[in-house]
This record gives sequence, structure tokens and C-alpha cells, in this order.
Amino acid sequence: MRTNADSFAILESALNAANAAGASEADAVFESTDQNISRFANSNLHQNMSEVSAELTLRVIVDDAMGVASTTVFDAGEIARTAALAREAAKHSDALQNFSGLYRANEPLPEVRTFDDATAAIAPAAKARALREMFDRGSKFNIQFAGAYGTGASSIAVANSHGIRRYCTVTSSDATVIAIGANGSGYATALDRANVDVVTLGDEATFKATLCKDTIEDIEPGAYDVILEPPATAEVVDWMNLITLSGSAYDDGSSFFVNNIGKQVVGTNFTLADDALDPDFLPFPFDLEGLPKRRVALIERGIVRTPAVDKVYADRLGFAPTATCWNLGGTEHGSAFHLSIDGGDATREELIRSTKHGIWVTRFNYVNGLLEPKTALMTGTTRDGTFLIRDGEVVARLPNLRWTQSIVEAFSRIEGLTRERRRVATWYNHFGGTIAPVLKIGGWNFTGKQSAV
Amino acid sequence: MKPTRSQLEDILASLRDPGLRYADIRWTATHEQHVRVRNGEVETLSSTIDRAIGVRVLVGDGWGFAANSDTSEDSLRRTARRAVEVAAASNIASTQRVVLSDIEPHVATWASSFEIDPWSIPIEQKIEHLLASTDPMRGDDRIHQVSGDISCYRQEKIFASTAGSYIEQTTTEMGGGVEAVAIDGSEFQRRTYPNPFGGDFQAAGWEFIERLDLPRKALGVRDEALALLTAPKAPAGRTDLIIGSAQLALQVHESCGHPTELDRAMGLEISLAGGSFLQPSMLGNFRYGSEHVNIVGDATVPGSIGSFGFDDDGVPAQRFHLIEKGMFVGYLTGRDTAPAIGRKSNGTVRAETAARIPIIRMTNINLEPGTTPLADIIADTKRGIFVETNKSWSIDDLRLNFQFGCEVAYEIENGRLGRMLKNPLYTGNTPEFWRSCDAVADRASWQIWGLPNCGKGDPMQTMRVAHGAPAARFRDVEMG
Repeated sequence: MRTNADSFAILESALNAANAAGASEADAVFESTDQNISRFANSNLHQNMSEVSAELTLRVIVDDAMGVASTTVFDAGEIARTAALAREAAKHSDALQNFSGLYRANEPLPEVRTFDDATAAIAPAAKARALREMFDRGSKFNIQFAGAYGTGASSIAVANSHGIRRYCTVTSSDATVIAIGANGSGYATALDRANVDVVTLGDEATFKATLCKDTIEDIEPGAYDVILEPPATAEVVDWMNLITLSGSAYDDGSSFFVNNIGKQVVGTNFTLADDALDPDFLPFPFDLEGLPKRRVALIERGIVRTPAVDKVYADRLGFAPTATCWNLGGTEHGSAFHLSIDGGDATREELIRSTKHGIWVTRFNYVNGLLEPKTALMTGTTRDGTFLIRDGEVVARLPNLRWTQSIVEAFSRIEGLTRERRRVATWYNHFGGTIAPVLKIGGWNFTGKQSAV
Repeated sequence: MKPTRSQLEDILASLRDPGLRYADIRWTATHEQHVRVRNGEVETLSSTIDRAIGVRVLVGDGWGFAANSDTSEDSLRRTARRAVEVAAASNIASTQRVVLSDIEPHVATWASSFEIDPWSIPIEQKIEHLLASTDPMRGDDRIHQVSGDISCYRQEKIFASTAGSYIEQTTTEMGGGVEAVAIDGSEFQRRTYPNPFGGDFQAAGWEFIERLDLPRKALGVRDEALALLTAPKAPAGRTDLIIGSAQLALQVHESCGHPTELDRAMGLEISLAGGSFLQPSMLGNFRYGSEHVNIVGDATVPGSIGSFGFDDDGVPAQRFHLIEKGMFVGYLTGRDTAPAIGRKSNGTVRAETAARIPIIRMTNINLEPGTTPLADIIADTKRGIFVETNKSWSIDDLRLNFQFGCEVAYEIENGRLGRMLKNPLYTGNTPEFWRSCDAVADRASWQIWGLPNCGKGDPMQTMRVAHGAPAARFRDVEMG
């Protein structure tokens, strides 16, 4: 993590180099991260990692064309070479369509809390002691744990040739815990700006691993009502970022948003937003083009509102900027990194009690959304806790099941949402993640199951 | 800054913890350039240089790893001290004995070969090549998007260890491909050549792009994307299935490559993408596939992106069987996992860069060719489906239940390829599927495919691997 002064010194050097290389406009991002990840399996800490990294990304505009280059070395010579590479890229690129220039409005940033001193200072030994306590507790129930426990602190600085200067320090902590018992596994996850409580997660995963441990039933493929825990829903909406929500998915025609802006496409009880301001989520004040974050409804009460675009594609596609650039010059041209699904008014217990014959899903595994993107047809399997609900009661464990389901259709059949929501991390996004309630969806299409060898 | 051998050996010698059992240092400089054209314009032209150092130490039974993007000598020393601190912490929650397989010290240099340096080709030439390939694909209103990609990759790596090894390696790679997206109403079809996600990749220079012959292949890609718009949907139900080389390469990747990673089988990767149904007790006595199925791990294939001189444990590249005449006989292993099955490392531990911890990764995991020409296999198939080019992939957390979607399929009727079919999906159970393989085509249809985007580990590491595969036939497979 670098100071404000260190970060802006590097960014000023980059902008000066861009100017010297002939850029008419330029912007740059300097990100520095101290990251610590402990991986464990078989109740043994087997990979313990500490990384300090820093990267400069420079984007130049020349004759309305864009070029991008990045480096991990920050002396004057290397920065000048990076600017020359970006300039060379811009020289050979075509003019951006309808481009109105880099961000210059310089609106004030929202005030959000992003940093926790204790999390930034946590020592590897303290994390190892917490894991050891979790391992010891699990051994009393013949449970073995696997998972990962991460903490990190980053500084993110953005500057452009129109005088925009943004800087923020941020901490994050996340953990995934899988509890493995004799007859099944359970799962728990947490994501926060402050250090997460891995021991409590171990207890939660143990509950799932031991629930109905002596009652295992089978089920035939077919359509069943499902109760989806937030990690399951998060994996689906993560894929929507790629195939539905991004500027490039809209532009290439693969997104079901195309020709549906302003139209009711899914159920009126479904609202999906990009929301980095919600204090219950993972607040962050700006995107990497320097635009202030705001809540942006992507699907509002079932009506399609806007894709998540960077400024280049906001101009190209004629949408208002959504402050969702997380990769200068990236081919996705916008991603919703703070995916927020509105909650409802139910509790998990109420959703289960209202289910005559259904399946309670802890999480999904290996979802793929590339089958038929126009309907967001996806496939995946369940894992780490799949349960049969009969007459409103959780009565048995089930094998892992394969499903193949249009998400457009599924989100049109939401029968209930919990008031409580939980945060879930994604591997490709260290700025945010997903916050989601538990969903009850009618008629989820299960197409197969994990059979024995 | 590129460290000298004496600097690295000096830092290794300075690690004084009395419990230190092993240490290594890696330095990498990774250069990437990507050119993408789309609908007649240059959409992406990016250039990145990533430098990193990583220090890995084993103190007692605790591993510690520290990395830094600052590669100065001062940073190297701080990073080494941090690795020892992290290893000490690991011992608090380390509950298992770490045993390393023996290793010989190696002092060596290795480099992949190329004829024409990718960076010697001017950017203008790369752009012109892609525009010349993709512009003729445009013109039909239903063609919504045409695009082309060329990628250049070079990684320089230095490895030094307390086992006495000092190894310098350089890998140079190129990749390229084209894509057409056709849309008609709600119908959306994508067709690519030679593979999706940037095309095919080899450890080679510009000569590989020339061999791909993108300008000549592109029109066929466009025509197939348009034809798919009106093609009937591939039927659901059980049928005989012939899988083309490119799709079968991914089938090998997901249903053989990953489940034969020993760390996965030992539960060490459960938290991310799960475990493996192939357990050590099954080694040598489990029928994975039919007698036609021979799958090798081979990090020595010239020109492939899964090849190298030494892995990131300092173990030389090797060739060995994973599946031999259908029997499960081997795992991909590293020094800290191989002893669990009573073997020595077969050299498959790699990291994306020095900033990441080395873990078991696929190399070139190849389905060996059979003896029957593909045309004869088709002629011998009364009724079935031929599928090619991956579109979607999903497999469960034990690598058992899989589902794959392909870009295109063709009916087979009375030994002849018939109508084109769209949106084919097939599903199955891994060993049942491979046991149903009754014909593997000969070397004429065998090709090695570079996959530069294999994800594993936490933090996620994207590894460059490859798979050789011919076409093959599988009986009574579930479609849809």
C-alpha cells in the first residue's frame, strides 16, 4: 500500500510522459496491494502467502483513439517507455465512436468508510491461530476443514489530464470454509472490510455438513422449487456480468438487455443494482476513470434499465455513464463490481416452510453461462450441502445435482426473498462482490446428478 | 531489475532459521502484447510488462511464500525475510508432516524455439493481417460482429534453490484466431477458428500465425455462423457421438487433466474447484476408459505452450502415462505431493509468475492417436452426431458429471455427415464416458491445442497448458 503522495508522484510522472509522447488526453491508475492468503485443507494450513504488488496502467488518447500500456516498474525511464507503448497503440487504433473525452466534471466523491486499521495490521500468526482454533473445534465433530482466508490492504489512485485526482485506501477480508464430514460437506463464506470471523464460519459450515447426516435420499432430474443461498445466486449474477451486464455484451448483441431497455423482462420482485454506496455492502467512492460511484439500477423491479458501461462505451452506446470502469481500456467496457440484489420481507425459515417439495441449495459449482446468452441459459452443479425439502421441512441430504436453466425465466419465477442479505466475494473482483438475499424460485430445471464411480 | 546468480545465492545463504529445510527464489519478467480488431477497427492494442520475485521457504512443517513486484535487491531481501515469518506462522496451524521427494541439482538454461520473433513484427503488420482476415467476413446484415486476435507472450524466468539448482528459462508464444457473430431476431450464433477465446496458441513465433492461414479460413467461419442461424437444434436423447480434435482436447482437460492432479486428489484444491474422483487407492487398478484410451502427460513436446525445461520445483520436464490402455496409472505430481503415493515428482509444479506460489499444473496432457482414419470411423457409424469446437463447459466438484456445449454439430446417417445442427450439448459421467470410447482416430486428425487460460489456485492463477487429441467416437452418449 502506498501513500497519497507516493501514488500521485507516480501518476504525475505518467501523465507528464503521456503529454511528452503527444497524447491529447491521458488518465492513469496506480494500485498497490498488500495481500495475505492462507489456504488450508484436511485441517492443515498448507499454503500461506504474502504478496506486495504495485501496477501502473496508463491510457492515452491521440486523435480520439485510445492506447493502453501497463508496468510494474516506476522509474522515469520505464514510465516514459510505457507512455511510448500506449502512444504507439493509440496511433494504430481507430477513433472511438462518439467519444466526448475523458472524465472532467470532478464532482465531489461520496463519503464512505473503506479502511479498517486492525485488518491492515493483522499478522500471519494471528490468522494461523484462528485457523488452528477452527481445526480443533471441527475435530470434536469429526470434521475436516478446507478453504481460504484472506486479508489485504490496498491503495488506489486515479489521475487524468483534466485535473481529476482520486485516492482511496481500502481493506478487505474474506474466507470460504468447507466442512467435510463422513456423509457430506457444508459451506460458509464471508466478505467484509474488517477481518472476518473464520471460527464462526467453521461452526456454520459444520452445521451444514452434519445436517441430516444420516438421512440421504436420491431424486430424479426434473423441475423443483429451490431455495438458493446467496453464494449460489452470486455465482449466477457473476456470470451475468460477463454475458449480460457489460458494455461489450450489449454492443456485440449477445446480452438479453439488447432491445429490452425499459421493458419488463423478469419478475417485478427482482431488482439488481450496482451499489458501492450501501454501508452494508463494500463501499467504494469512485471507479477507475475517476467518476463518483452512485447506485445504478441495472434491472429495476423486473425492468431492464442499463448495462454497466465505462465512459468510452457510455458515449458509444448512448447511455449515461454508470461509473463502472474497473479496467482502463479493458475489452469488457464496464462491469458491475458491486452487484446488489434487493431483499424482500421473508425469512429463510418462512421460505422453507412454504415449500411443499423442493431443494435447498447451499452453493453452485462450475457455472457456465455461454450456452445461449440471449436467454442467459446456464448450467452448473450444486455442492457442499444440497437438501430435500418435503412439506416445509428439511428432511434429507441429496447428491450434487446438475441443472440447466434460463436465468431470465428463473428470475421471472421468484416466489420469495429474504430481508437478510449476505456478501459474497468473487475471484475476479477485489473491489466489491455480490450482496444477495436468499431466493425462492419456482421450477428450477435439474437435468442430472453426480453418480458414483 | 534482473538479479544476478550471485545475488540470489547470497540471499538463499542468508536464510538462517534453524528450522529451515528448503528455500527457492524465482524472478519473472512477463511481456504480453494483444491486438484485437473488431468490425474493421482496432479495438484493443495493449502491452504489459509484469516483473515479480517470489521466495518460498519450508521451515519445520510450515510453508511460507512471499512475493513482490519490486525486484530490487533490497526488496528481495525483505521478501525473503517475510517468507520466513509467514512460514513460522504456518507452523501454528500445520498439522501434517511435509515430505519432499529427492531432487538432483541442475544448472541449466532452456528456451522455447521460434523462427520469427513475435516482437520483430511491426504492429501495423499484425493489424493489417487481422483486417485482411476479417474484413471480407462482413457485408451480410446478419453478421453482427467479426473480430480477430493476435497475442504475443514471452516469459523470462530465473530459479535458484537451496538444493543447488540455478535455472534460466525463456518461453515465447503466439496465438491468434477469428470469430463471427451472427444474429437474426432472438437467434444468436458464434463461430470461431481455430478455437474461441483468442484462437490457438503455440510456443512459436510469427510463423505460427502464418500457418493458421486466417485470411483463407475466415470466410468459412462466417458462412458457418450464418448457416447455424437456420440450422435445426441438435436433438436430445442418447446417440453415438464423434468428437472432433479441438473439443476432445477440452474434454481431456476437464475430465482427465484436472482429476489426475495429485494435489486435487489429496483435497488440497477443494476450496475452489473441488476434488477428484481418482483417489490414490485406485492407482493401477481402476478402469478409467476403454482399451483405446491412452493419455500421457508430456512436458517435452516441441512447440507447445505446455512445455518447459524444468518445473518450478527445479524438476526436469518429463513424459509419463496417466491412463494406459484405459487403466488409471499416474498422477501429475510435485515434490511435496509425490511421496504420498510413494513416488518421486514428475515435474508438473508451476506458477503463473514469480508472484504466485507454484502448484501442480497440467503440462501437455495428450490423448494418444489410434490407428483408424477419421473418415473410416464416420463411415462405420450408422447413426450419430459429430460435434466440434467448444462453446461451454461445466463439471462437478469431483470431475465426474460433465456437460459440454459445442459451436457446431453434424448429423451422421448411414456413415455419412449430414445436416448441420446448432446448440449441441452432451453430458455424462467421466469413467462411463471414456469406457464407451470404441474408436480413436489416427495421427492425421491429431493436433495439439494451446489453452492459455486454465484457472486454478487462490489467488487464481491462469496457466498456459496444452492438449493433443485426435477425433474419437463414444457410444450411447446423452445429448441435450
